Parts: sequence; structure tokens; C-alpha cells
Amino acid sequence: MPVRQLEPGIINRIAAGEVVERPASVVKELVENALDAGATRVDILTDGGGRRLIRITDDGAGMTRDDLALSVERHATSKLPDDDLMAISTLGFRGEALPSIGSVARLAIVTRHAGEPHAWAIGVDAGVKSDVKPAALSEGTRVEVRDLFYATPARLKFLKADRTESEAIRDVVRRLAMSRPDVAFTLAGEERAPVTWASHGAAALSGVSGRLARLGDILGSDFRENAVEVAGGRDGLHIEGYAGLPTFSRANSLSQYLFVNGRSVRDKLLVGAVRGAYADYLPRDRYPVVALFVTLDARELDVNVHPAKTEVRFRDAGLVRSLIVRSLQEALGRDSSRAATTGGSATISALRPNSASMPSRRNWDWRVSPARGGLSSVAMGATALAGLAEAAQAAFDVGAPSADARLNSIEATPDLIDKPLGAARAQVHETYIVSQTRDGIVVVDQHAAHERLVYERMKAALEKTGVARQILLIPEIVELDEADVGRLTERADELARYGLVLEAFGPGAVAVRETPSMLGEMDAGAFVRDLAEHMAEWSEALPLERRLMHVAATMACHGSVRAGRRLKPEEMNALLREMEVTPNSGQCNHGRPTYVELKLSDIERLFGRK
Amino acid sequence: MKVTVERADLLKSLSHVHRVVERRNTIPILANVLIRAEKSRLSFKATDLDLEVVETIAAEIGQPGVTTVPAHMFYEIVRKLPEGTQVIVESSGDRAVLTIRAGRSRFTLQTLPESDFPDLAAGDMPHKFTLPSADLKRLINKTQFAISTEETRYYLNGIYLHTSGSGKNLKLRAVATDGHRLAQVDFDAPAGADGMPGIIVPRKTVVEVQRLIEDTDGEVTVELSPAKIRFTVGEVVLTSKLIDGTFPDYGRVIPVGNDKTLEVEKAEFEKAVDRVSTVSSERGRAVKLSLSNGKLTLSVTNPDSGSATEELEVTYEADPIDIGFNSRYLLDIAAQIEGETAVLRLADPGSPTLIEEKVAKGALYVLMPMRV
Ligand SMILES: Nc1ncnc2c1ncn2[C@@H]1O[C@H](COP(=O)(O)OP(=O)(O)OP(=O)(O)O)[C@@H](O)[C@H]1O
Ligand SMILES: [Mg+2]
Repeated sequence: MPVRQLEPGIINRIAAGEVVERPASVVKELVENALDAGATRVDILTDGGGRRLIRITDDGAGMTRDDLALSVERHATSKLPDDDLMAISTLGFRGEALPSIGSVARLAIVTRHAGEPHAWAIGVDAGVKSDVKPAALSEGTRVEVRDLFYATPARLKFLKADRTESEAIRDVVRRLAMSRPDVAFTLAGEERAPVTWASHGAAALSGVSGRLARLGDILGSDFRENAVEVAGGRDGLHIEGYAGLPTFSRANSLSQYLFVNGRSVRDKLLVGAVRGAYADYLPRDRYPVVALFVTLDARELDVNVHPAKTEVRFRDAGLVRSLIVRSLQEALGRDSSRAATTGGSATISALRPNSASMPSRRNWDWRVSPARGGLSSVAMGATALAGLAEAAQAAFDVGAPSADARLNSIEATPDLIDKPLGAARAQVHETYIVSQTRDGIVVVDQHAAHERLVYERMKAALEKTGVARQILLIPEIVELDEADVGRLTERADELARYGLVLEAFGPGAVAVRETPSMLGEMDAGAFVRDLAEHMAEWSEALPLERRLMHVAATMACHGSVRAGRRLKPEEMNALLREMEVTPNSGQCNHGRPTYVELKLSDIERLFGRK
Repeated sequence: MKVTVERADLLKSLSHVHRVVERRNTIPILANVLIRAEKSRLSFKATDLDLEVVETIAAEIGQPGVTTVPAHMFYEIVRKLPEGTQVIVESSGDRAVLTIRAGRSRFTLQTLPESDFPDLAAGDMPHKFTLPSADLKRLINKTQFAISTEETRYYLNGIYLHTSGSGKNLKLRAVATDGHRLAQVDFDAPAGADGMPGIIVPRKTVVEVQRLIEDTDGEVTVELSPAKIRFTVGEVVLTSKLIDGTFPDYGRVIPVGNDKTLEVEKAEFEKAVDRVSTVSSERGRAVKLSLSNGKLTLSVTNPDSGSATEELEVTYEADPIDIGFNSRYLLDIAAQIEGETAVLRLADPGSPTLIEEKVAKGALYVLMPMRV
């Protein structure tokens, strides 16, 4: 077959394959166009999962008649005035979105530019353009896409159920809305309850509070209450945003919102950095909720990686990475004794005897109800058990106290009450410490809390003295990829600090000579392979550190006070004071909270006083 | 089947065989012991599929027969019977139970058909030799502590038994290592050992053999093939699979040129190491040995709790050296040293140290230092 130049229609359809993968990508491209046009409000409406209809209306600058005609042509853009790909400050720059969409759907644009006497309209139907005609619109631009992919039935087949597609649209809009708290968004359509996010004012973009307010709008007020502010900067690179407390974690990484120069990205480097920063706080299978905004000189960044523009490349990836890790750790460390407040409010809603929380009545334990009487409970217990138990052992009720009230004997000095974790008032079930603060009460899980304290102490000691290394009688030869060998040996110094000494052994293997003595006899081969894999993916030696910390944590677990031990008042207060000054004491080594706080206002609500 | 037997005899052999049976078993028959009564002999057999123990005792056989019952329960029953009683064990062909009677006690245990009981087909064992149980004890005791527990290096999970040298100098040698330390012991090979293959005897087998010979001082007969080994101690026959793997060329790691020689009173050294390591953290356990003319200083520093030092008078004339060891490893080896004096031959803080008895009796230990 002879080689021939493809027709523009075909070219557009091929490009469309990359730019518009699914309805959500159409929404993304069109909203980005609106934002690039300086809109202060963007209304989005979709139907049939975006397949039947997508309509985006903005109040931006609009287009002149000539611009409108050109905008649907391939490689026509207003956003690269100096042809400088190295300094892109707009979301779009490829001049591809509109022609691509037009080639696979029925596209209709109405736009009003201030310099024109009236609005103009144009239509593109599966690549066939109509003439530009006069139309009515007072300001901005309205873009309508109908019957998406009707011109490419193959692609149509790959779309998921309407609900799934509309969910993807929602995610795209949420991300765009997070990046622009100064712009008002509405998302409507038959398939969903309409949502409106009001603008937080033109200053919202520069102010952190505006960002947080918008994040709260989108992620819920729980996030607002359980997030700490992240801020950091160096050499023209800025990181800001919010980091969810480790106790507010999720089972997947979908709640990580990462932005680079206002662009929502899914970037391995950033995801890896976030994971690294939280490694100490979260088990492997929990993911933090974060919203991070990275800003840097456009010249330090390449956004022209993929037509969908969700990937970026940093000129100095190492700097970005370390700054993110540092800023996050600094933020988490700053507020580290804080545990999630959701524990407290969940408790409240579980307890509150109103109809709204009826389902949780199942959690209600009749034995703790004040109506329980000494004798009748024995009788009830016996009848309730009769059917189930093999043989019930009868017992005298000698009225064993379930709370230790010896604390009453010490006078709680007012200054203790002013401490964040308050003054210990009682130990209940020999497991929980109840303390009183100025405006509420705190319940501490004594075992979890102490375990964390011991762990942090051991970690500090390890950092101070370094890791002792056992030299191997016979070096362990581990066969690896050449690239892995390179990666490991490059960082040999760092690994040695953690107790692992290895060197290249020919091109395709390393010889492990010394291992951390803390880990005892270990399977060095599997361990090194795991390490290499991790370093390839995240460029860090995390497993090694984590293994050591895991040993430290197990030891901490053994060395810490168990649930079920009675603590003296002085011991309880000492534990609370140590928690206040120890970083990360708000969650135990397994990421669960070590304490919950109930505010007085919560308790008042509980009793219907408010 | 009907058998009358002394409780003491029954208890002794059950205590040997029941240990082989794993406590948690997914295959029911493996929880059982096979009982066979024939020609005034009563035999018991238990297995975990890798290891099999058979023990035979004298008994009065009323009626011969074979059956299997839960091993641990049978053992517990016999253990709790009054001392000095006669035990009558009986099963009838049609009911799947075994009755045990002694004095006024009577038990019935569910049985499983003996035809399901697995057999560790031993096959041909071309090599056979006999050695005093004391020698076998030494072989095991002195090397067992160094067996690796890391399951991925399965070929280190046992004792490597082989011959070395030739002719009049032929030795039977046992070696074990976990990659941090190595233990080697040998003695003149008994007749019949010549030509045996090098074999790796698994840890569990080692432990069982050790228990079997604990309080005998007779002879032990060893038979082996490249895949299996059999120990016969009196009336007990233990057959085991061997670890199918290649033991590393351990000779390479035994240092030969270590010229710094330290001679130390063993008991004193052991106590001192134990004392100073009191302050070490649970895992770190490093103890530093500082040597200079005639003096050994042991020290431990634990940033969490404090530090300890102790000085010992020793024989040492070489250049001063500081070297760290895992204190537990030092204690393990010291416990095996016979005689009053231990000899440590050192090179430098990063190379293997050789530890021997002053009057060499065929045992040596290699220990890798720790960097602290
Ligand atoms: N909502 C809008 N308001 C004003 N002008 C618009 C709007 N949408 C598109 N345009 C104009 O049309 C041009 C073409 O848009 P299109 O999305 O195809 O390309 P782009 O945004 O420049 O680049 P990219 O392909 O990266 O999105 C834009 O450069 C812009 O000038
Ligand atoms: Mg665009």
C-alpha cells in the first residue's frame, strides 16, 4: 500500500483517542478552557454519564468571530503567544481539545466577546464544521457536547456504566474545584443532586484559609477538622495544602489530591513522597487524605508529557520529593499528639438516643444501662445464657469496682486541667484513663499510648547511635537486575547507616556482607530484592527502615504497660504529660488513635442540653 | 487384640514416640500412634511424614492385632495411671475403639484403621556404622546451637554430617552454621563410615535423637542412604528423611592465619560476658572486647539504660585490638568449651574469629564479629 498523508478528519479522530478517553476527560478539557478564559463561575451539566450531553457554561472572556472559527481547527490555540513550551502558565496549550471533541461528537459553541456586537455560534458534527452564525448570549461561552463518541463506535463500547462515568466526572470536577477556590462551580444534571461550590473570593487563591474552606466544601467538614496545614518552600518551590491526620486515613489512595501549578496530576513521584512521609504513621494498607499544591517556576516543569496533561516532569525531582516529605513530616510532627476528632463525634452519635442514630442502638449494651440491678442481672444473665452455654459457672457478685476512684484523693491542680490532655480523673476497666480538660474529657487507651511512647523513645535512640551490624560468615550473593544493582550500590552508604552493607558482585548480583543485628538471622536475598524493587519504584530505602522500626515496635509492644494493669494516679498523669511532649503520640503503632476527646459541647448535646 | 503390659514400660515408649506427633494436625491419622501386638512384642509407631519412630517392648499378648489411636491422649492416660499397675489394652474387631484398663480405671479411645497409617518407605540403607552414644551426644550438643532457623536457607536447617580426611585419619565430622557463627566437631570415624555421602540431618531429627540418647550409654547404630538416615538405640528405631540440598563449602570460612591469640579462663569469661550484657538492650546485645597486653576489657554501652565494663586477666601478647561480638553468640560457644581455658584466635574487627579448647579435642567454632 502506498504511503499517504492522512486527512485532517482522521488525524483529529486519532488525536481524540488520546485527549478524550471518556466523558470525564471532555469535562476536564472544557472546564480548563473556561478557567483559562478567566471565568469566575463555571456551570457543568451532564446527562447519561456525559455520553448524551455535556454542557459547560462560563462567564469568561469569550471569543471573537474569527477566534471562534479558528478554535475548532487543529493546533489552533491562543495560549502559546511566544511559542514557548517552556513557560506554560495556562491549563491548555496544545490547541487540540476542541477539534478532537468535534471529531467524535456533536459539538456546539456559543460565545460572546466584549468587542463583538453580539454572540457567535459554531457547530462541529463528527468533524464537519458549520458556518459561524450570529447568536444570543450576554457573556462568556457555552459549549455543548452531545452524543459523545457516536462517530467512533469502538470507543463507545469501552465506556463503563453511566453511574461509573458520572462518578468519574464528579471526581474531575472536584479536583478542578479544589484548585480554584476563587471560582464558583456548579455540577448538575439528571443523574445527580446538584452541587454548588460558592467562590471564596478572588483572594482565596493566595490565602490558605480559602483553600481550606473549599477543601472543606468538597471533602466534608470532617476533613477540615482532621487536617493540619502544610507549608514549605525553598528555591522558588512552594508546597502548601492540608494533610489529614493519620487517624483519618482511608483504605485506598483515591483521596489524595495533588496539584502542580494548579493542575491536578496523578504523579508517581508525588504519591511516593506522600507515602514516604506517612510511613511512620500508617500501616501499609492505609492511605492518608491529603490535598497538596505545589507551585514552581513553569520553567522547572514539563507538562508536555502526555496529551491528557495529568503527568508532569520536574527538572529537579529530588528537591520536590524531599521538600514534600519534609513539609508533611513537619506538619504532622507539629500536631502530632492530635488524634482524629471523628472518634469523639462517632461516639457521640452512637450514644445519642435520638431517632437519627437508631441503627447504632445495636451497639448499645444493656449491661451498662443505669437500670441494671445487682440481683436481677444475675437472673437475666443466667436465663440469657441457659440456651447457649455448656455449663455456666455461678458466682457471687461481690461488686467489683469497674472504675478506680482513688484519684479523688488527689486534688487536681488547675494547671493540670489546662494541659492539652488534662488531669487524670479515673482509670476504668483497668484499660482506659479518663481525664478532665478545661472544656471536655479525654479517654486514653493506656496500652496503645504507652506502646507509642516506648516506640518513639527507641526510634530516637536508634537515630542517635546508629544500627549495630552483624558481619556474615559467608557473604550472601543475591542475583538482581543490573539496574537494581546500580540503584543499591549507589546508595550503599545510606544502607550501611541502617546496618546493611553490600557491594556489587559482578554486573548482575550484589554481595551482602553485613546485616542489621537487630533483625537476627534474616533472609537477606528476599530482603534485598524487596528493597531494590521498592527503590526502583519510590527511589527510597523505606523497607529497611520500616523493618527496623517494626522490630522496635514489637519490642515496644512487649515493653509497654498492658491493658488490665491498674495505674496509680501519679502514673496516669505522667503518661498524659509524656504523650503531650512526644511526637506522634496521637496514634498507636498500628495507626489507631491512642485517645479520643469529647468536648463539653458534645456531652451537652448528648444530654439534649443544646 | 488383647495385651497386658507394665504401665512403666508402656509410659517409657509412649513418651518417646508421642513427641514426634505434631500437636496440630490437618491429617487425622498423623495424630495417631500405630499399635501392633504380635509374638509377645508390642510396638508403637508415630510419624510426621518426615520422621518416624518405632519402639518395641515386651508384653503379654493375649491376642495379636493392629490399630491406631490418638497419640497424645493415649500418652496422657497412661501417664496419669497409678504407678506399678498392669495395663490391659484391648480392641475388638468390629468396633472402632480401643479399651484401656488399669486398676479401677477404664478408657475407650476411638481408633482409625491401621491401613491408612503412612509408612516412611525407608528403602535400602547401604552405609552402616556403630558408635558410642557419648560420641553421638558430643556431635549433636556441640553443633546444634549453630543450626540456622531461617527457613529460606533450608540447607542450613540441620547438621552436616560427613567424613573428612582419609585412611587412618578418617574423621566423622558434624558442622552447623547460621551464617553468623559456625560449629565443627569431629573424631575418628567408626568402621563402616568410610564412603558415606555427606548428609544434612534436619533439626527436628537432631532434637529427637538427642532426647533418645539422653540417658543411655550404650551403642547407637546408624544406617544411611543419600536420602534417609536411621538411628537404632536399644529398642527404638528412628528413621528420618534428610535435607535435600548442598551444604556450603564451610572450609573457606574457617580462618587459618589468625595470629592474635587470647587465652582466657572459660568460666570467668562466661560469667563476665553475662554480667556486662545485663545492660544491653534486648536485641542489640553487642559486647566489646578490648585487648591489650595481658588484659581483656569487656564493655557494653546501651544509650537507653547505661553501660558496664569488666576487666579480666588473660594471656594476650599481640597488638591491642577492639572487637565487638553478639554476647549471646559468645555465651553459646563458651557453653560448649570443655576444659578450663578457651582460646580465641583473632585477626581484626571485621574478620572471623576462631574459638577452640586449649587442649584440642576436635571441636572448633568460628564467630563473625559485630560492628558497633
Ligand atoms: N470557554 C472558552 N472561552 C474562551 N475561549 C475559549 C474557550 N474554549 C476554548 N477557547 C479558545 O479556543 C482555543 C482552542 O481550545 P482548545 O481547548 O482546543 O485548545 P487549548 O486550550 O489552547 O489547548 P489544549 O488542547 O491543551 O486544551 C483556546 O486556545 C482558546 O483561545
Ligand atoms: Mg483547552
